[in-house]
Formats: sequence, structure tokens, C-alpha cells
Amino acid sequence: MNDPRPPKLAEKLLLRFIKEDLAEEVLGDLDEKYYSVLEKHPKKANRNYWYQVLNYIRPFALKKTKSKYSKLTIMFNNNFKVAWRSMKRQKMYSAIKIGGFSIGIMVCLLILLYINDDLSYDQQYQEKHRVYRLVNHMNDPTDTERWTSFSPAIKKVLESDYPEIETVGRLIPFDWFNGGNNQMRPEGQDIITYEEGFMYADPELLDILEVQMVYGSTENALSNPKSILISEDKASKYFPGENPIGKTIILNEDTAAHYTIGGVMKNFPKNSHLQTDFLLTLVGEEFWPGEQSSWCCSNYNTYLRLYDGSNPTQLESKLLSIRDNHLVPHFRQRGNLWADELEKFYSIELQGVTDIHLRSTDIHSEFSKGDITMVWLFGIIAIIVLALASINFINLSTAKSANRAKEVGLRKVIGSGKSTLVFQFLTESILYSLVSFILAIILAVILLPYFNIIAEKSLSIPFLEWWFIPLIIASAVIIGVISGVYPAFYLTAFKPLSVLRGDTSRGSKSAGLRSVLVVFQFTASILLIIGAVVVNEQMNYITRKKVGFDKDQILIIHGTNTLGQKAESFKNEIKQLSSVEEVSYSNSLPVEGTMRNNNQFWIEGTSTTKEGVGAQIWGVDEDYVKTMGFKVVMGKDFDPTLTTGNPILINQTMAKELGVEDPIGVLVTNKFEPPYRIVGVIEDFHYETMRDEILSLCLRLQGGNSLAAVRFNPQNVDETLSKATEIWEQFAPNQAIRYSFMDEKFNAMYKDVQRTSRIFNIFSILAVFVACTGLFGLSGFMAEQRRKEISIRKVLGASVHSIFRLLSSNFIRLVLISFVIAAPIGYHYLEKWLEDFEYRIPLSWGFIAMAGGIGLLVALITVSFESLKAGFQNPVQGLRSE
Amino acid sequence: MEKNYLGEFEELVLTMVGILGEEAYGNAIVQEIETKLNRKVNLSAVHVTLYRLEDKNLVNSSMGGATTTRGGRRKRYFKITNTGLSLLHDMQEQRTELWKLLPTLKFSTI
Repeated sequence: MNDPRPPKLAEKLLLRFIKEDLAEEVLGDLDEKYYSVLEKHPKKANRNYWYQVLNYIRPFALKKTKSKYSKLTIMFNNNFKVAWRSMKRQKMYSAIKIGGFSIGIMVCLLILLYINDDLSYDQQYQEKHRVYRLVNHMNDPTDTERWTSFSPAIKKVLESDYPEIETVGRLIPFDWFNGGNNQMRPEGQDIITYEEGFMYADPELLDILEVQMVYGSTENALSNPKSILISEDKASKYFPGENPIGKTIILNEDTAAHYTIGGVMKNFPKNSHLQTDFLLTLVGEEFWPGEQSSWCCSNYNTYLRLYDGSNPTQLESKLLSIRDNHLVPHFRQRGNLWADELEKFYSIELQGVTDIHLRSTDIHSEFSKGDITMVWLFGIIAIIVLALASINFINLSTAKSANRAKEVGLRKVIGSGKSTLVFQFLTESILYSLVSFILAIILAVILLPYFNIIAEKSLSIPFLEWWFIPLIIASAVIIGVISGVYPAFYLTAFKPLSVLRGDTSRGSKSAGLRSVLVVFQFTASILLIIGAVVVNEQMNYITRKKVGFDKDQILIIHGTNTLGQKAESFKNEIKQLSSVEEVSYSNSLPVEGTMRNNNQFWIEGTSTTKEGVGAQIWGVDEDYVKTMGFKVVMGKDFDPTLTTGNPILINQTMAKELGVEDPIGVLVTNKFEPPYRIVGVIEDFHYETMRDEILSLCLRLQGGNSLAAVRFNPQNVDETLSKATEIWEQFAPNQAIRYSFMDEKFNAMYKDVQRTSRIFNIFSILAVFVACTGLFGLSGFMAEQRRKEISIRKVLGASVHSIFRLLSSNFIRLVLISFVIAAPIGYHYLEKWLEDFEYRIPLSWGFIAMAGGIGLLVALITVSFESLKAGFQNPVQGLRSE
Repeated sequence: MEKNYLGEFEELVLTMVGILGEEAYGNAIVQEIETKLNRKVNLSAVHVTLYRLEDKNLVNSSMGGATTTRGGRRKRYFKITNTGLSLLHDMQEQRTELWKLLPTLKFSTI
């Protein structure tokens, strides 16, 4: 058996950390100690030795970490130094590498913030996995439709018949009785203020959507009839510094619309699909006799919370019994053929609350929404831009390899192995990547406010989040490695002998790969250009298309219903103004945000034998058609002297759908009111966005004075406005005038599409720019490499033109190949995008060719800079060095 | 005047260096403390203290010759300096002065 010896591992450990000049005596002392312990307690000796060793981990005994003798740190420092020098030596190439990289990373960062914000919608509910919204689904083979409003009676049925449902809450989020926009004042105050977004809600909804309260509780806030819940913002606006519970709010000076404040809620978070400052209770509310128990009219968005563990798919199939037991019988009883359609195609779906924001593009609802496909599209753009920048890095590094070849050769001769060299070049690319990241973050901080304006978001860079800095560093390293790994292996593969002998491979070996990468870059760029061109054309088409009325000369004055009896004289006074041509009262205008409805109409006497025609019915006055500039194509406009007998005007679409040759004089009914008599047909006009077809519409004479449309002479807008304001102040001294211009409102309907196209444009331009910087670098490199050849050619009489062609033809060929690849792909996807629009431009090859032309032109300009410089240079300069 | 006092452990180690004379090195001091005072101390603790005393100029050190025991490794011998010795004296005197002021202890039961 061996003599016991001090544990080797402990000795090694000690040597690892202890100062070298201490090691000898310490080891000696420890040895002595070990043997003396061994004599007395043989079992303890080893343990004691370890214990003593570990006790030497104290500052006095430790090695200096930045010891001058550590090889690793020396190498690392050296690598950095070399990287820094080569960065400084080739300023232009470094600038292109770093500039492209930082733009790419900045774009990525902005897009990620944008996507992250979109994805964060409705994630705040603790029970989000069991909160759902009900969606109607009509799966008619010719036209599927999804919408969110349900009949009021559905609540009771859901509560009693389905044990897996815990709570049901309904919401009316649109213009409906006191919902929508109101002129309001707290009781006891004089000033009347316009407020938007009043909604009706069941008290249960507060619980389902986990509304946070400032005053009051979710159980009691809406539990009494005529109670209202207001947001923190509005509470501090109207009742600063006090608890407003129990105070009264009066809407539209209406004695029936006195609401008592039952609570104050925190403002909804920005990333909640539901945004409102005022919730009116549905408790005790019945909008007409028998409304709450009827199945006739769908006005209620319905939210559910299921019990834990219930299966939503199963519930969906169970919900078909609502169709069979309630909806179908309701319509069948009334002889409505809608019942058959329902029976065949209708179902009710559950949509998870977290899907409402991004996955509702085909659902008709009142909430603003994002689009999951946009999230994907932007994500793809982010990756493309980053790839373009990385490719620049790879291309330029391999192209410039000649300059590093000698260095690599020498290092190899001195004895450095391949792995150390790879490590060196990776350090270099990580250094580039880190510098680029820092620049990118600075750029992003500078540009974020502008991006927020364009994207209509309020994004901020989450510097303070714990994951941000580590994430940035990790991605910098990863991207550095990804884009550095190929150049690193490429550069280290040089044979020292041939390199040092002067056999410069000049980086031409990798020309094939470089060409492929350039083709990839330009394919992506041309795709983005094609996209940008077509999206812009479509936008122009929509905003300039004739809409069927004069949107450019109409001023809308809102809230005229509060004038009450004085409305008629207000209208007359406005009409007196010299610049005003026509004035008309109504509730509905062909722009978003005004009243809409839906009715079924039948030609009198056919309601049991035929399907009804779904149509809007707008309440207007007799000046409406003149004011809006609609064209009457058949019959006559309303006759102010002949208002009896329920005259209506219909649009061409409705005339077609009713299916009568001569609709003039025909009686139609919606079964609620006495029949209407059609007196005229007006030309179709766009009253929804151009994504949608023009649908049936009729105008009737009564009811509707919340908006005054004023047709004016556009030459003196300011004067008209100031005079109208004066008149308004005489009539409603406590209430500010609220007006808008129809063309602005009209353009606002396309805001989301415009916003998307603008973001798309910006990112496309940046992507193309990044690709071009790479091309610029490459062309510069080519020109430099062939400097002698060009000089000799010039001496022999070559023209600038021929040298230019010599240098740029290769690049132009690559760009043409890219175009051939990009064109069909772009055509395919844009055709798909355009299909979404009811009124769209035809996708011609002209656009594609134009985009290709732009791409080619940009590439040509980029390349020509260096090529021309080479062409114009004095041949002496290129030759005299030898 | 520099501070003329030491911590308890420093004083102990310094005294031991004085007692051991020519034979004062790390492990010897540890052993000595163990046998004389029956007190367990860490080698590293003694080591730290020795170097601290050397920084204060109270001891100086030199490497000894090669040995046959301890794996042929040399020992670092410490020797008390005159400053060290006089500091020990001073401290001793101060302590006796103080002792004189202490009243005779009386124990009483209540």
C-alpha cells in the first residue's frame, strides 16, 4: 500500500490561485501539518488539508487576476488591437460594414418593439386562458362572414343552460341610445363638454375583464340602474381631488339621461382591445318594450368566462342549440327566410380574449385592431434587413482578404494554430458587431420618436428591463459569430508558403459565393421595391377614386342635436352666410364614425315568400342630396312640400337587389314602420372603405339631426369657419363648436392602410440602402484590385465608357438575375394582397418592370461611382508605384 | 508616532516569533500556539498575520535551506525586529499600568 500523501487535487487547486512566490513555503507548511495530523487522527488528515487549502482563498494570497503572465488575456488584447488597427486602416470598408450593420440592427430593434407591442395586447388578464368573446359565423359557401353582436336574450340562456360558463357579460361598444359620443356635464356645473366612447356594459363584464378600480368595487359599480363608471382620467378632469361616487352626470341635456357615478376605474391599459372612459350600466335598461327577452336584434358583444378545465371546442358545438332552439324558431315564426340560411350555415365561435387584437381582421367589430399577417410581414422584413447587413460583412471581409493574407501567413509561420486564428477573426467580427449594436441603439433612440409618430404607437426602448442588456449583448455575440464564421475559416485556410511568396489569391476564389449573396441581396431588395410601388399605387387609387359625392367642400358640425328646438333656426342662420351653399341635418354621412344600422327590407307583401334585402336606412332631411352632391338617376329628390306617405330614396345597388324594373312608386317595408314609398334612385357612392363593396342604402326623411353637413365655397374656408363659430356660440354659449372636414374624415378611413404602407416604404428604402452600401464596397474593391489593368487599358487608349462597362457589367448582370427571380414571387404575393380590396388597381407587369427599373438604376448609380472614378483616374497614378 | 498597539492575534503571533527565535516559520508557530495555549489556529490565518507584521516592519523574513522532510520545499523563517520587540515591551508596560488601576476584586453573595 502506498504511503498516504496530501491530496493531489487540493495541491493543484492551491497552485492555481495562490501567488507564485508564496507557493513553496505554503505547500511546505501544509505538508508538515498534514503529516503531523496524520499521526494523531489519520482519518482527519485529508479533510484538514482541504480545509486549510480552502482557507488560503484570501486576498493576500491570491494571484492578481490581471497578471501580466496570462497568455489568454495577452492574446485577447492583441486580437482586439489588431482588429482595431485593421478597422482604422480601411476606414471606408469599416464604415460600410459597421454602418450597414447598425442600420440593419436598428431596423430589427424598431420592428421588434413594434411586434412586441402588438403581441402584448390583452395579456394583462390573470384568467385570460378562460376568457372568451362570442363570434357569429355564417359559413355561406359564397360569402363567409364573422361578426360579434348578439341578441340581448342570449345572456340568460348562456347562464342557465351551460354549466361550464362561469360568468356572462355583454357590452354595446357603439353609437346606440346614450352610447357613443355625448355632450355631457356633471350636475351643478354649466359647461357642456363633448366626450367620446360611451359604452353600455353588464356589471359582470367588469369582473370578466378584470377592470381595476380606484373608487368603488367591481361588484357594485354598475349594479344599480342608471349608474355610470368613469375612468380615473375623467374623474380627475371633472371632479379633481375628490371621490365622485354618488355624483350625477347629465348627457345631452336630456332629463331621462341622468346617470349616477357608481365607481371610478383605472384607465384601460394602452394594450387592451377595449378602450373607454365611460361605462353605462345595462341593469334595468330596456331600450324598447320586450327588448331584453327578444331574439330579433343583435346589438350586444358577449364575453364569457368559463370554469377552469372546460373545453371551449365542446362548448362551441353545444352552442348550436342556441341556433336551433331560439334563433331559427324566432325567424321561422315570423316567416323570415333568414331562418333557412341560419339553419344551414350559422354557428357560434369562441374567440380567446388574447386573440381579439391580432386575429380579428375578418370580424366586423368596433374595436381597432392589428393584423397578425402584418406582424409576420414586418418580422420577415427585420430578418431580411439583418441578413443583408450580414452579407455585406461576409462579402467585404472575404473580398478584402488579400490584405490580411500576409498577416495570416506570418502568424502561421510563427506557429499559431488554425483555431487561434479563427478565434482571432471571430473576435474581430464580434467587435464589429458590438460597435454596430451600440451605434444601432443610439440611432434607435434618436429615431424612435419619429417612428412612433408614423406607426402611431408609443413605444420605448426597455433599457430598464432586466433582460434587455443581456439580450443585446448575447445577440451581438451571436450575430458577430454568424457573420464572422465564414470569413474566419476562409481567411485561415491560406497556405503560408504561397501567401508569403507573393501568390496573392486576391480574394477572387470566393467570387462565386459572393455573386450568390449579391443576387440574394438584390432579390430581396427588388421584392421590397415591387411591394412598395404597388402598395403606393393602390393607396393613390383609393384616395383619388371618384367616390360619388363632393367630399372636398363639406364642413361637418357635430352635436347639433343638443340645440333642440333651435336647430331649425341655426340651420337657417348658417345658410344665410354668403359662402355657404347648402346645409343639411342627418345622423349618417359617408365617412366612418357616423351612425350605421342594418335593416331587412321587402317589397310590400312579399315578406313571407322572399328573402329580404339587407340595407342601411339613414335619417336625413330634404336638403341632404343637394348638399352631398349625389346624383338622382331615376325619379326625383325629396320634395320639401310633400313629406307625407313616407318617401325614401334608394341607391342603385338596392334597386338592383330589390329586383324591380321601375322602382319608382314601389312600397317597401321593414316590418317595424309603415311602408315606405320609393320616390327616387340615387347613384351609388362609397360610404364605407373601398375594401368593401357598396351595399344597399336608403334615405328617409325623419329622425336625424346630430350632424350638420355644410357645403361651402372652398375659397374662404377661414371666414366660413369663424362665422359659423360665431353663430354657434349664440345658440349654444356653454358648448364649444365641434367641426371637421369631410375629406379629412374620409382620408382617416384609410389611416391604417396608409400607416402600413408608410412603414413598409421606410423599411424597404433602408433595406435597399443597406444592400447598396454592400454593392458600393464591392465595386470599390473591384476597381481597386484592377487598378493596374485599368491604367494599362487607358494608356492603350480605352475610353472611360468602355472601362465603366468593364467594371459594372458583372454587377448589372447579377441585378438582372435577381430581378428575374424576384418578379414572379412579387407578382404572386401582391396579387394576393390586392384581392382583399373590393376596388383595386389591376396588377400589371408594368409595375413589376418599374420596380425592376428602380432596382437596376439604384444599383447602377451605386456601382458607377467607383467605376467612373477608376475610369477617370490618371493612369500614371496606378502605374508609377512600380 | 505610529500607532503602538496590535490586535490580539497579531500580538500573539509576534510574541511567538520572538519566543521561537531562529526556528520561527509558519507551521512551527501554529504548533507552538497549539501546545502552549491549546488553541487551534489556521495556517492561512497565521500566514496572513505574518505578512501583515512584515509590512509593518515588526518582523523580517528570509528563505531557509532545502529540507528533506516537507517534499524538499524550503521554509520561510521570520525574525522579530527591534521595532517589534520594543512594541511588545511598550504594550506589556501599558497593560501593567492598567492592571494597577484595577480595584481588587471582591466576590460577595447576595
